[in-house]
Amino acid sequence: MPEFIGINRNILEAEGLGKEFNDVWVLRKIDFDLRTSEIHSLVGENGAGKSTFIKILSGVHSPDEGMIKFDAKPVVFHSVKDSEDTGIRTVHQEINLVPFFTVYENIFLGSDRKRTVLGLPTVDNKTMRAEAARVLGELGVELDVNKKAHLLNASMERVVEICKVLVQKPKVIIFDEPTTSLGESERVRLLEVIKNLKKKGIGIIFISHNLEEVTGISDRITVFRDGAKIDTINEEDASPAKIISMMLGDKTYYDYKKVCSHRIDEVCLEVENLNTHRLKDISFKLYQGEILGIAGVVGAGKSEIARALVGIDRLDSGRIRIHNQDYQPSPERAVTSGLAFVPEERQAQGLILNYSVMKNITLTYLKKWCRWGFIIDSVEEKKSTEKYIKSLSIKTTGPTQLIKFLSGGNQQKVILARWLDGDFKIGIFDEPTKGIDVKTKEDIYHLLDDLAKKGNSAIVLSSYLPELLSVCNRILVVHEGRIVTEICPSEPGAQEKIMSAMLGGVKVS
Amino acid sequence: MKIALFNNRNDLREFIRKYGTVIGALILFIVFSLIIERFLTASNILMLLRQMSMLTIIALGFNFVMGAGGFDMSIGSACGLIAMVFALTLLGTGSLLLALSAALLCGLLVGLINGMLVAYIGLPDFIATFAVGSIIYGVKMLMTRGNPVSYPSDISPVFAFIGRGFVGPFPFPVIIMFFIFILTVFVLYRTSFGRRVYAIGGNPVASLYAGINIKKYRLATFVISGLSVALASIILTSRLGSAQPLAGEEFLLDVIAVVFLSTTMFGEGEPTPSGTFIGALIISMLNNGLTMLNVPYYFQFITKGSVVIVAVLLAVTLGQKLRIKFL
Repeated sequence: MPEFIGINRNILEAEGLGKEFNDVWVLRKIDFDLRTSEIHSLVGENGAGKSTFIKILSGVHSPDEGMIKFDAKPVVFHSVKDSEDTGIRTVHQEINLVPFFTVYENIFLGSDRKRTVLGLPTVDNKTMRAEAARVLGELGVELDVNKKAHLLNASMERVVEICKVLVQKPKVIIFDEPTTSLGESERVRLLEVIKNLKKKGIGIIFISHNLEEVTGISDRITVFRDGAKIDTINEEDASPAKIISMMLGDKTYYDYKKVCSHRIDEVCLEVENLNTHRLKDISFKLYQGEILGIAGVVGAGKSEIARALVGIDRLDSGRIRIHNQDYQPSPERAVTSGLAFVPEERQAQGLILNYSVMKNITLTYLKKWCRWGFIIDSVEEKKSTEKYIKSLSIKTTGPTQLIKFLSGGNQQKVILARWLDGDFKIGIFDEPTKGIDVKTKEDIYHLLDDLAKKGNSAIVLSSYLPELLSVCNRILVVHEGRIVTEICPSEPGAQEKIMSAMLGGVKVS
Repeated sequence: MKIALFNNRNDLREFIRKYGTVIGALILFIVFSLIIERFLTASNILMLLRQMSMLTIIALGFNFVMGAGGFDMSIGSACGLIAMVFALTLLGTGSLLLALSAALLCGLLVGLINGMLVAYIGLPDFIATFAVGSIIYGVKMLMTRGNPVSYPSDISPVFAFIGRGFVGPFPFPVIIMFFIFILTVFVLYRTSFGRRVYAIGGNPVASLYAGINIKKYRLATFVISGLSVALASIILTSRLGSAQPLAGEEFLLDVIAVVFLSTTMFGEGEPTPSGTFIGALIISMLNNGLTMLNVPYYFQFITKGSVVIVAVLLAVTLGQKLRIKFL
């Protein structure tokens, strides 16, 4: 019968898929295919284009070039619903369960089975319970369907999320980092569940930062780098070391290279045994004129270090000293102690979107532009803003233009200008070049170097290695809330060592 | 024929979005002037302004709270309590200065409690201030058993002047109102305090990351709201000649109407002092005009509610994001 010819036929194909945002191509000419009964992994650094790619497949973004074929027929997704109706479902990284609903109620959330009682449509709990139990059984998981969701452990929560997708009878499932935040035994169990799905003929796209996991479970692996597909390799040819070298490539990414060190032997920030709900025993020293990198995958605890230092997350214990003085973190005291913080999420954490360029720049050190400490001197304020627009070459129509009309790179420069306006000593930059074009990136690297030259210090948090390697004096690597190693960018094999530490100690030959 | 002013439909939409409420106020004014004989007279206009002065003062205080992204449901209840505190102190001590201080202190205290609960303890503003309003209601009714506190009309001539006096042709409350209006504009747009209040309303997370002590600022906005209620309450007590525990209870509805109108005005998505002033004018014109038309009192509530729905609907359908958060 024709349907059974080639049981592993291509279910989903991408041909020359690409996407641009603000004239920057974040994804270019991606050819990709997924077969039925296959686990096909996507790997790449943050910003390599994986998430954009799966967002196109799941209908969140529409592609700017290329096409998608489903079951050999071209398809166009105008919305997530279009993609779901075709049979593509995503198990997201976040858990979205209603805590006081039972397992089966969560599984059928939004797709209740109905039956008619005395002419009235009612919820058919019996069918839903039976169907939920059946799906769980197929996965090989023993779980009471009447258990409330808030009583589940992390891997069971994930299993319920998978069941939510399974009752929709999908043909393709995308798993976006399903094993993060799981313990070792839970992780193994979940991988077994995913392997069981494969036996049912479903095509699976698997995304993970854990390369051991990827090589253990996949049939094929596709590596992304800088918005392009590097290659697709078969399971038998794959090893973590090989994948890492494919992820990194051998070209240098930018012309920028740190020329000389401005570090002097004077400790300006000392962190001892810092503990928060996400960090464990963080200790490090920052020297004057030094640029210290902190590397780690998303969720490893980089941002949490920054948030603890500026007093947004509560410290459970630990001690911080700035220039040999004890410092109790709070956002306000951070400013007075000379700490500057450029957060990762520009729009959500950095900008007042309905404010002008000028108002966003002067927000932190507004008192500087006030007479008697509270009346704003708008003439001086404007003059200083114009100075920064010129010196940082911010592309804007003027100080009064609303910030939301600027491009990402220029918005980032505005946040940098906000801190340059004051006299900070230690700058904390969380993913300072995320989503920014190459030219602006280099501007920012030069700015960091200038700051160091003037005797300021900086902590750069990034998951993008070439950036850390070219700007930093030292690099600390965090993994699951701990600092696991310290590496000097100039030592041989630094890049591989950092990448390996970031991924939890994978052996790299 | 097309209106040459607007090149396309979007320009027209934009214009309605920004100035729709102002145009509505103008139309209302013109219609009332045409159909009510004594509406457009100097004496009625001055009376209208005097009537709206208390509402405007409270709404301007509310402007700070809402500018920082908060909400204050306790204003109506607080108004009556402050009036009682004021009258009882005046009766007990005979000192106007003490009575004024007690009233302002009471307003400050209500603001502090609201601010502590919302900004420092982190309760949702709707629930916390609503609960405080309920507690205040109980306290003032227990204090007075619901009876008004009267005092001799000649107890203080200066006090009578606050609510009923004139400076030239202008009622004194109107002068206070304009003074508070100018002060509000100044503080919100010319000081670092105002700049940061709106920044917190615009993006509390970014404000925190920029090193602003957002708790302190949010607390301050509730204190300002409490003080403005105290000021309005003093004027009200002076005008009425006695302190009614339930006086000002209906301010809550009116003020909410005013700030919602203000939020939809000029397409800003946040309340502005001038928007608040025009909003208060609309609500007061409705009160004044409908009374003059002998429309039953309770019908005014129906009208005010409808006006708010139309204004918000216009703003929302024309694609404006409102800065109003629910719970």
